[in-house]
Amino acid sequence: MPSDHLSATFAALADPTRRAILARLASGETSVTELAAPFEMTTPAITKHLKVLERAGLITRSRQAQWRPCRLEAKPLHEVADFVEQYRQFWEQSFDRLEAYLKTMQDPPTPQKTRSPKQKEKKNGRNKR
Amino acid sequence: MDATNASISADQDFVISRIFAAPREQVWRAWTVREELMKWFGPKGCTLPHAALDLRPGGIFHYAMRTPDGHEMWGKWTFREITAPEKLVLISSFSDAQGGITRHPMSANWPLETLSTTTFEELGGKTKLTIRWAPWNATDPERKTFAEAHSGMQQGWGGTFEQLAAYLAKS
Repeated sequence: MPSDHLSATFAALADPTRRAILARLASGETSVTELAAPFEMTTPAITKHLKVLERAGLITRSRQAQWRPCRLEAKPLHEVADFVEQYRQFWEQSFDRLEAYLKTMQDPPTPQKTRSPKQKEKKNGRNKR
Repeated sequence: MDATNASISADQDFVISRIFAAPREQVWRAWTVREELMKWFGPKGCTLPHAALDLRPGGIFHYAMRTPDGHEMWGKWTFREITAPEKLVLISSFSDAQGGITRHPMSANWPLETLSTTTFEELGGKTKLTIRWAPWNATDPERKTFAEAHSGMQQGWGGTFEQLAAYLAKS
């Protein structure tokens, strides 16, 4: 994996205009002019943002057509989503396991009815110490 | 999810907390006794084939974690402050079998080391656990990556993930 690939994606996603552009592109490829319309931004300003997104691999611009349509690329988004999810899951799931473990400490298994002879043995053993 | 709160504080630390229905001493032990730590540390289905814990300032917790699909990764904590049963301050990093400090496997610009402060608060028989992370000895790009990534984790980059979820599902 390219060394700072993920950082480039993080940086590209940190800007609200660029996020809005990505959201717009999720519904299909479009031209720079069309992308610029809702932003009250000049075309060069939008182009600047597009270059950041392009460098991060989040979009590609076709060279086939004169109007060079922009298109969303899913791969880096998947990577970033995986990264975030892994990080979150690490602690969410560790906490879930800790919770379960603490519960076993809180209510130690006391199957008095089913294993009462053993229970008594243990109790006696403990008292001797 | 609802029991856990994560947020970005003004100084860009990453904070996660949860309230556990157990006395503080017990939660503290679960974090600081090797055999107890091994029972829960890591996501569901993960095991620790190696875990060496030396609980003292300057001591380390060096572990290998094996995921259910057989992946193995090494990590290391270096303890800085141990105030039983209230506070545990440590430096956390990725590691290797030799105990070195290694880069995040997915990002060269992730901070090599992060400072993690875990607090244990008594809450009427329950315990509120809070972990706070900040980059440690980090370069500017590392700091930036940490801040951007964590703001994304917390807010899903302002809902972009939700908007893109359908697209991601299709592709």
